Amino acid sequence: MSIHFTIDGRSVSAKRGESILQVARREGIYIPTMCYLPKTTPNASCRMCVVEVEGVSGFVLSCNTPPVEGATIRTDSTALFKERQNIMKLYNVNHPLQCGVCDKSGECDLQNKTLEFEVSEQSFATKEQKRKNKKWGVLSYDPYLCIMCEKCTAVCNQVVGSEALYIKPGGYKSEIDNHYSRCIQCGECISVCPVGAMASTDFEYTANVWELRKIPSACAHCSSACNLNYEVKEIGIDSGKGEQKIYRVTNEADHDALCGAGRFGYDFENRVSCKDERAFAKVLKAFKEAKTIRFSSMITNEEAYLLQQLKERHGYRLINPEARVYQKFLRAFSSVSGVSLYGGDLKRVAQSDYAIVMGCAVSSDNPMVRFALARAVNNNKAYVGLFHPIEEEGLRNIVTQHLKHEVGSEEALMALLCDAFVPSEVKKSHVSFFESLDVGYICGESSVGEEEIERLVRQRVRKKAPVLVLGADLYAHPRADNIAKMAGLLERFGGFEVVIVPSDTNTMGVALICDLDDEALSPVIGYNAQGDCVLSALGGSDLDMPALNQQEGTFTTVDKEVVPLNAALPYHGYELSDIANALGIVLKHVIDLTCKLPKEKGYKEVAFDDLPNRYLNHGVQIRGYMLEPLHVSCEENIGVIADIQEYNGTILYRCNPISQFNLFTDKTHQINDRAVILGSSQFAEAAKIKSGEEVRFVIDGRAMSRKFQVSSKLKGTVAYHPDFDSFEKSAAYRYQKVTFERV
Amino acid sequence: MHTHDTHEQHGHGESELGNRYISEHYYYVDIAPYPTTPWGKFSRALKRTLRGELFVGLWVVLREMFKFDIHTVQYPKEKLLVGPRYRAVHAMQRLFESGTERCIGCGLCEKICISNCIRMETRLDEKSRKEVSEYTINLGRCIFCGYCAEVCPELAIVHGPRYENVSEQRAHYIDYAGMLTPIDMAISGEQKEFDGFGAVTPHEDARVKQTPLAY
Ligand code: SF4
Ligand code: SF4
Ligand code: SF4
Ligand code: SF4
Ligand code: SF4
Ligand code: FES
Repeated sequence: MSIHFTIDGRSVSAKRGESILQVARREGIYIPTMCYLPKTTPNASCRMCVVEVEGVSGFVLSCNTPPVEGATIRTDSTALFKERQNIMKLYNVNHPLQCGVCDKSGECDLQNKTLEFEVSEQSFATKEQKRKNKKWGVLSYDPYLCIMCEKCTAVCNQVVGSEALYIKPGGYKSEIDNHYSRCIQCGECISVCPVGAMASTDFEYTANVWELRKIPSACAHCSSACNLNYEVKEIGIDSGKGEQKIYRVTNEADHDALCGAGRFGYDFENRVSCKDERAFAKVLKAFKEAKTIRFSSMITNEEAYLLQQLKERHGYRLINPEARVYQKFLRAFSSVSGVSLYGGDLKRVAQSDYAIVMGCAVSSDNPMVRFALARAVNNNKAYVGLFHPIEEEGLRNIVTQHLKHEVGSEEALMALLCDAFVPSEVKKSHVSFFESLDVGYICGESSVGEEEIERLVRQRVRKKAPVLVLGADLYAHPRADNIAKMAGLLERFGGFEVVIVPSDTNTMGVALICDLDDEALSPVIGYNAQGDCVLSALGGSDLDMPALNQQEGTFTTVDKEVVPLNAALPYHGYELSDIANALGIVLKHVIDLTCKLPKEKGYKEVAFDDLPNRYLNHGVQIRGYMLEPLHVSCEENIGVIADIQEYNGTILYRCNPISQFNLFTDKTHQINDRAVILGSSQFAEAAKIKSGEEVRFVIDGRAMSRKFQVSSKLKGTVAYHPDFDSFEKSAAYRYQKVTFERV
Repeated sequence: MHTHDTHEQHGHGESELGNRYISEHYYYVDIAPYPTTPWGKFSRALKRTLRGELFVGLWVVLREMFKFDIHTVQYPKEKLLVGPRYRAVHAMQRLFESGTERCIGCGLCEKICISNCIRMETRLDEKSRKEVSEYTINLGRCIFCGYCAEVCPELAIVHGPRYENVSEQRAHYIDYAGMLTPIDMAISGEQKEFDGFGAVTPHEDARVKQTPLAY
């Protein structure tokens, strides 16, 4: 069902729900706008997008008007030009003449359109108001420059779901204000501001934007691997030396989003001046003796493939506990779903109208999960049910129903979902499983009421696109295998599209490419992980390695896409490929391996240089390629659920602060969260500690000491315990019982 | 007539354009045909040698020497005044009275520079203003085109009259401090407003329109 009409004499057609502007953009027809932000609903406040429709008197706003069958539309005429010119004149009322010292100069919509519509003087003025510049952490707001387009508030509400920014009304006096405690410092508002009003505190005045070179790449901090541009320039005026640095990160803000880590955590490069031959020789010797390579998932597909080759040739054991549990989880899932990969992705989540989330710290594990849910809620009025033991204040606007459960009861709750959504014919083939379910017991032990589950289930009626998002709490769950199988059942028969969010940047790639082992044999080589001989991109190890903003390669994302990573900064030392070369695997560049990634896992034979990375006019992203989902053989045995273990006493949840993922984000100068235990005042009371006290405890076999802090944004009796400040990643269940000892 | 012939051969438009520069009283010099035979060339050389034209030139020099009315500038003891629109080594101006640096770090000079020889760095200063922290012009590459002075919205960068650029290095840089008017000169009013390339023209006052203000 499409609507046919003409724009500027060209016949075009619209899908239902598309506006005139969207069709025009898709067709490459230019209509100027000031307030339109494609990723949110139209603000319709600027009137720049007006067009003429034959037979309709007056102008029509193209951004929020759908076309009608047979309409004849003109996007340009003398009258329209005059109208738009007048709008620009009004935008320029009292606008400070300070382009010379404005960070936005050179990429400012107001500047561009003022020139485009030939406004060469300020013809009107109004009484100037006294206003104050504001600073909200990474944001700097200059109300004098603000044109009140409302893009920032729209993005903060609809994309981020924070509802931090709002308009303080008052006619000409109105300005933007911030409920600062709700702000997650993502910088989305900066990226969409068409003028210099919402600016980056750190970037302010450090470079004129046209001097920066944009290097399109992928964010290295979580499994979304968001598309971004590193913007680089030489350091200092003595450009002969040629040393460069990253000044800022930008993205295609009209269509895509970034979280605070991606936008502000960019300077984690490892600067080395030359190849350290002595260290290299020492490390080679260690490689000849080593039996195991331990590595993290902060690695490209190509390097993971290289490690796999090393394993095949030299018999190393490959250890990556975090990816290992994910790998097992995914395999168990496939063994029931019948397909090698899960069916959903975050784009589907953003388009869904019903979402169940389980086992995921929504804001911090993978911020794009949060963003996708926020978009689903705002665009499709989605119903979001979140199963999690900890209630987070910041998710108020995103989560419709919080099903707060006891730690450890995930398996039983998943079984209840299966019970509710798997059709009865299918249940017949899993009789023992379904018959053994004791709903009363589960609800009692998990402290999720039966009526809560009923409400969740009832809401799914008439929903068209339900999704199920699973997070890292489940992969290391003692009952992970069975949880994965139940999720497989829900995808195959329950009508859900499932997303199994990879726990680290390239966990998915590692899980698909590498044959991982469970037990390490010493001696161990650690690549960005602990070992007897350590190669690290953080420096200070046995051999320096390039950081992920200094490497070329690809990542496999949560969306099951293979996306390109380009080097923003040069690297002058040795790389993993040099070691592989010395160990008999001949290759010139790591990216020569991109086309060799295993086809039997769904990768395609596409060379690195042929990977596309762009957007179409109407926002469709063409980036890398999708993994091929493959059929795998099904087994149908879902185990009877285990008794729910009790977790009483002081429980810590392994979870990092928003935007602080690992030692790399910690190294960057704008992300400064410290590693403290965060808990509610209720937790503090139960554990008998005060905010600011230092405690000692043993967790997962490791003795640690940390400061404790009370957070007003948390509720409940479980506290957050970060692990970003260490290479040692635990693959145990994320909730652990500990005993505090005051220092 | 030789030259004339070539003119005729060109297209219509171009010959007209060429003629624009030929005043009416100009005429073509009748040049005898060049000798082509070896003998012809030899006899021409012989004629030229013996005609004594060299002494004509020598005589002119001698005559002028004794007139004691010499126009030669005794450089470097004497220097010619250069016109205001002469484009020599750059200078950075300050505001009169306050002595504040005029340059706001807008970067337009760096952008427009045709030989890519300006590099600058800016930052946020203590008063939350944009400040130039480093600035340099590579005079080894500068072609003294004047674009930087012309584009500068603040009349900050100008071409000074200093045309002596002897340097021992091929790449000869000047930096911000070297170009900047010393502050005492600015405050005492010794700094001259620049009226050369890129400066406001004398009748500018009449053309300037006031920005409307409603206080
Ligand atoms: S930084 Fe993010 S959360 Fe904070 S105000 Fe801006 S958009 Fe909202
Ligand atoms: S701060 Fe920027 S995005 Fe927000 S209303 Fe003002 S001009 Fe628009
Ligand atoms: S950390 Fe994740 S969500 Fe944030 S920008 Fe990077 S890839 Fe995107
Ligand atoms: S005079 Fe021309 S070449 Fe020299 S610095 Fe200025 S713009 Fe560049
Ligand atoms: S154009 Fe003028 S004000 Fe702008 S940076 Fe250059 S010297 Fe400074
Ligand atoms: S874009 Fe339509 S009103 Fe602003």
